[in-house]
Amino acid sequence: MVVKKVYKKKQLMIGSSGRKQKKHIFDWINVIILLIFAGISVYPLFYVLAGSFSEGADYINGGIWLFPRVWSTENYQVVLNDARLWKAYGITILRTVVGTVTALIYTAVVAYAMSRPSLIGKPLIYRFFIFTMFFGGGLIPYFWVINLLGLFDNFMVYIIPGLFSVYNMLVFVNFFKTIPEEIHESAVMDGASEFKILFRIILPLSGPVVSTVALWIAVSHWNSFFDTMIYTSSENLWTLQYYLMKVINESSMPAAGVSLPYELLQKVAPETVSLAAIIISVIPIFVLYPLILKTLTKGVVIGSLKG
Amino acid sequence: MIPLLSKKKINPYQAALSEISPLAARHKKKKITRSNIELLVMVSLGIIFIAVFAYLPMFGLILAFKSGDGYLNIMDAIFKSQWAGFDNFAAFFEDPDFKDVILNTIGLNTLQLCINFPLPIIFAILLSELPWKRIRKVIQVITYFPYFLSWIIYGGIILALINSDGIVNTILINLGIVDEAVNFGEAQYFWATIIITSLLKGMGWGSIIYVAAIAGIDPQLYEAADMDGATRWHRIIHITVPSIAPTIVLFFILSVSGILNNGFDHIWTFQNQINLARSEVLDTFIYKYGVVNLQYSYTTAAGFFKSVVAIVLLGVGNFIAKKTTGNGVF
Repeated sequence: MVVKKVYKKKQLMIGSSGRKQKKHIFDWINVIILLIFAGISVYPLFYVLAGSFSEGADYINGGIWLFPRVWSTENYQVVLNDARLWKAYGITILRTVVGTVTALIYTAVVAYAMSRPSLIGKPLIYRFFIFTMFFGGGLIPYFWVINLLGLFDNFMVYIIPGLFSVYNMLVFVNFFKTIPEEIHESAVMDGASEFKILFRIILPLSGPVVSTVALWIAVSHWNSFFDTMIYTSSENLWTLQYYLMKVINESSMPAAGVSLPYELLQKVAPETVSLAAIIISVIPIFVLYPLILKTLTKGVVIGSLKG
Repeated sequence: MIPLLSKKKINPYQAALSEISPLAARHKKKKITRSNIELLVMVSLGIIFIAVFAYLPMFGLILAFKSGDGYLNIMDAIFKSQWAGFDNFAAFFEDPDFKDVILNTIGLNTLQLCINFPLPIIFAILLSELPWKRIRKVIQVITYFPYFLSWIIYGGIILALINSDGIVNTILINLGIVDEAVNFGEAQYFWATIIITSLLKGMGWGSIIYVAAIAGIDPQLYEAADMDGATRWHRIIHITVPSIAPTIVLFFILSVSGILNNGFDHIWTFQNQINLARSEVLDTFIYKYGVVNLQYSYTTAAGFFKSVVAIVLLGVGNFIAKKTTGNGVF
């Protein structure tokens, strides 16, 4: 399609132009400062990796900074035997997938209507939406509404309140408006309904914006724990982050420990087990990181405010 | 330039508000057709959602003017309790704990505004000045990563690093800076911990928008400056900074309006019983007193106060920015 060619990729990973210049003392100092910062910000991950493969008793002695002294995979065995981890993993994957897909569809439908010039009452509706970006009821009244809707301690509390966001809608609207009007006109001539135009024509043309918003939503689903903490009470609805919070804060051995052999438990400590749990929860983000980075660095211009 | 990347489109707020402007109202009278009705059905999804999840809670704000503390059910607190006028607001202004909460909230955010706001800009400029493209890319890939981890994870690890036998204390002792391990969990270290950890986790990703803005600067400007014999410092001050100024102003206004908004996850991760005096902020206060202690009216009033301050700050920040630089959110 013609339109697709228009959205050429722009390399945003590159800073300002590739000016030719002699290396200066400033360049060396600059690169050293930046590398040190990069090293410090990523070091915690190496630490976790080392700790998670350390024997518990040895880890407690301290001094493990980069590599395990006494190699051990028992921490992972204990964590992987914890039924709560798998349950939390399942809930988190489910809410991320379902939450992202439904939110994209819901938001895109509203955004499409808002992007059409023929929508009746548009300025008023805009005001109705935008006011809520700057003013809200706060936590307690929101909590009341969640209760009122019967969402408390219900899996749907992860999905329904996240269906729509005014900000994401505006990002969609901005993109939809850049799609040439002729495409819409010819579809109308063919007798297509507005729903059909959105799902058959507009959305397939909106790849960059859809993937950017999808990742914003997915990452925030994956990392959220606040909603679990406040809107749920049963262990069945624990998300991965909430499970991690419990394991880290309480420094308690995962519950499944009871049924594990004594030799295994001797080799682990609550601290090292929780480090192993952290690693397991980070794996999906790590694996998807190249994709996330590629999509979102392009998307930075699409919705600069989220950056 | 493709429409998506043109500078005018960069701000969704402006784009949206231009819809409301009188110019937009000059359309011809719209006819009711099948397509129009379909569009109304589509947009009603958004209207219903916002009515329920944004305006209904605003109705719930009447809790702030009632004496609804102590009810088990928020519904009863709203409908069965007595009117209290401004008593709840008066109560928290007199509460000695609340003074600390406000001080912590504003203090932490002011520090963030002074330190964590400008540093990503400097980081982006330093990155763009790097002559080695590959190293630049490696640094970007590394420093962006922590942003995608939750505070539970990243903060949990940092806590292990700064405890009494963690690497931070080991280094400090070996360098002779301190004699014995520092307990970073104490109240006096809380603000520094928050500032530094938020830089470690967020500075990389926070710089990306400025990196994009710098990438959009016309290279000819730099070439012309080089011809005129400009030093690197001159180029940064006279070309780079003015070119990204609109982006900086936009983000500054939005940061100012968020001054009562500490990231709950971040604070929650580092808060403990010992550092409460410096770590209790509005968000954690409202959660504990409202959801846990059932003081619905008291905390709704606190939340209401917060929303009003935020909206006033947004307006003031925008006004000042418009007067001084000609750029604003609206």
